[in-house]
Amino acid sequence: MNKFLRSSAFTLAFGYVVFGIAALILFAAPLWYAYYVTLQDARREGLRTDAQRLSEIFRRQGVSGLSTYIDNRVGMQIPGERILLFADSKLHPMSGNLPEWPAAVPSEPGEYDLPITLAGVHTRAMFVEDVLPGDYRLLVGRDQSLFAPLASRFWIGLSAAIAVLSIAGVVGGLMIRRAVLLRVDGIHNTVQAIVRGDWSHRLPTKAASDELNTLSMTINGMLDQIEQLLHGVRDVSNSIAHDLRTPLAELRSRLEELSLTRPNPEETFAEIDDAVVDVDRVILIFNALLRLAEIDTGMRRSGFVPVNAADVARQAVDFYLPAAELKGVTLSYRGTGPAHISGDPVLLAQAIGNLIDNALKYTSGGGAITVEVRDLGGSRIQITVADDGPGIPDEEKPKVSARFYRGDASRGTPGVGLGLTLVASVAKVHGGALELGDNHPGLRANMIIAVHTAGALQPIVGDADRTEAIGYQPATSVAADDAGSLGRGATVDQVPAPVGDESALRANAGGIPSATSDAAAHNLRIRSVS
Amino acid sequence: MKVLLVEDNERVTRFVVKGLQEAGHVADHADNGRDGMFLAASEPYDVIIMDRMLPGQIDGLAIIEALRKSGNRTPILILSALSDVDERIKGLKSGGDDYLTKPFAFGELLARLDALSRRVQGSGTQTSLRVGDLHVDLLSRKASRGTRSIALQPQEFKLLEYLMRHAGQVVTRTMLLENVWDYHFDPQTNVVDVHISKLRQKIESDSERPLLRTVRNAGYMLTADE
Repeated sequence: MNKFLRSSAFTLAFGYVVFGIAALILFAAPLWYAYYVTLQDARREGLRTDAQRLSEIFRRQGVSGLSTYIDNRVGMQIPGERILLFADSKLHPMSGNLPEWPAAVPSEPGEYDLPITLAGVHTRAMFVEDVLPGDYRLLVGRDQSLFAPLASRFWIGLSAAIAVLSIAGVVGGLMIRRAVLLRVDGIHNTVQAIVRGDWSHRLPTKAASDELNTLSMTINGMLDQIEQLLHGVRDVSNSIAHDLRTPLAELRSRLEELSLTRPNPEETFAEIDDAVVDVDRVILIFNALLRLAEIDTGMRRSGFVPVNAADVARQAVDFYLPAAELKGVTLSYRGTGPAHISGDPVLLAQAIGNLIDNALKYTSGGGAITVEVRDLGGSRIQITVADDGPGIPDEEKPKVSARFYRGDASRGTPGVGLGLTLVASVAKVHGGALELGDNHPGLRANMIIAVHTAGALQPIVGDADRTEAIGYQPATSVAADDAGSLGRGATVDQVPAPVGDESALRANAGGIPSATSDAAAHNLRIRSVS
Repeated sequence: MKVLLVEDNERVTRFVVKGLQEAGHVADHADNGRDGMFLAASEPYDVIIMDRMLPGQIDGLAIIEALRKSGNRTPILILSALSDVDERIKGLKSGGDDYLTKPFAFGELLARLDALSRRVQGSGTQTSLRVGDLHVDLLSRKASRGTRSIALQPQEFKLLEYLMRHAGQVVTRTMLLENVWDYHFDPQTNVVDVHISKLRQKIESDSERPLLRTVRNAGYMLTADE
């Protein structure tokens, strides 16, 4: 009960009850006052009329006439009869229904309303007293106690109304508490569990769309987002611990060894060159992580422009074609016309590139990779990269979403394990998801993208925003070119296109004003400063 | 090539100045915005390397804007640790010609400086390019070496055109990615090298003199020189 008294439902109910009672009294009081005054006036008027009529009789018929009239009238025993008293100048009763002149009533004529004792009963009465010629006194009055039931009925009625109101208030408060506060308690408990660090909890929701339910769903959405960001932060710290430490440790021991052993200059220079490669690897991972963080926080959504995904895919196929030929793999593009979407062309190109690169890595000579862009209808397009390589076992599919996850099959191949994570993030920022399917044999990586995603945060595929981004192997690989790659990973290569609305700006960035072809010029225009 | 470096980090300064001198260039240096502004406005330079965050109340972008307002057209390469897209746009909008993110490889910096300084000299519309006996007609989009005509895919032609426009200069993989494919990210594979070796096979038959060289730790260079 104590808890009930402190609950906001009770406070609310109590407040309403008090307010209701006050309103009732404020309404009844003037009503009662007006009624009471009107009634008193009417009674006084009645007494005056009566007194006048008796005076008239006295004037016409004299003392005996009036006495006879009063005696007759009293003798009739009319119920609720008035108090009548006809007395001489010494206030000795001559006729009437009072045995003697009431002590409380003064002898002067006038109108009185005063407490009096009648036949031994204390009551209140109203009197009109007249002085008749010859100094006779006439007293006409009315016992007010005759009207007492009326007043008591009024007060009983008012009390009953207040009682009903109070009970209704208490019952209402209890019902509000049951209906609403229990749910608030549920929210409270859930939030407390989350504060304790258990992020698996979500607020209970119902099918009904009342305010509390809508609020709960909004809060759940917020919790999902926070949890995801939290995971992101945790992932990044894990990633840094895991994947940056290794090359840094390698670099450190390399340099320390160099400093300790002091080998001949030739060996020293070779070691230094290797150390630079180590540093480049660290920078590469660092840039990839920053870029993932940039995508995951949704920062890139502001750079969305209309873009033809089919063009982006075709260009990516062209880019990777020589590498595929070198490996004896058939790489082909299959498309059904343009696929216009709102998106970030740089991210899309990188994601498709990662998928092709990934497929290339796991397809052996004689194999085939198909890139396909299809309109799924319902404002969705699907970019598919299918290979006929070994694929991945189903049980491994959900795991590959993790950053730096490398499947068993990928051991011994270069890569840092961020490629498919990036693809999944890119798909997500475009309002879609990455799905991994079977190509019988091989892998089908489907990137599903919403056509109109500008400003839309809602996932378009089922429960897509809770679906783990999936990918099977890292698509990234450390540059393995024998020429050495001093510039690689260490420069602007992680920085996307300069966003310029004039091609001059874009060409400036590259340092060549006229080498940009129509296709490139098209790509330039697809990004604009926002 | 006369280069001005406006950079407050001592180590980076030493590294860049030394590298430039070894490559046969003259390098001046200012370690704050005011000196940098003064030097840039008073001396003729072929190219300026500008750090963004500088001591001395005036930052790199402000200097660039001031120089451009006063009619100075010297090519400027912005050097910055700020790698965001937005920052890059800001840099190029202020009047910078190229943007390089720290940390950077010296080879990349040098190649970009080269490209910037020569762009000014070699501007003007050209209809054909020639390197040794390798000839490219930009209008008919045909390539030939001596009397032998070379069949090229559109993308190969673009790659060759870019290399020929920068004949005698080192061109990095990043520069190729950005300018030939318009890819402003690192695909993290050696695909560029595969493209180059394919192109090399087409423009250099066994009996012909090699033109397309691999420059260690940097990239590629197309040149007819020995």
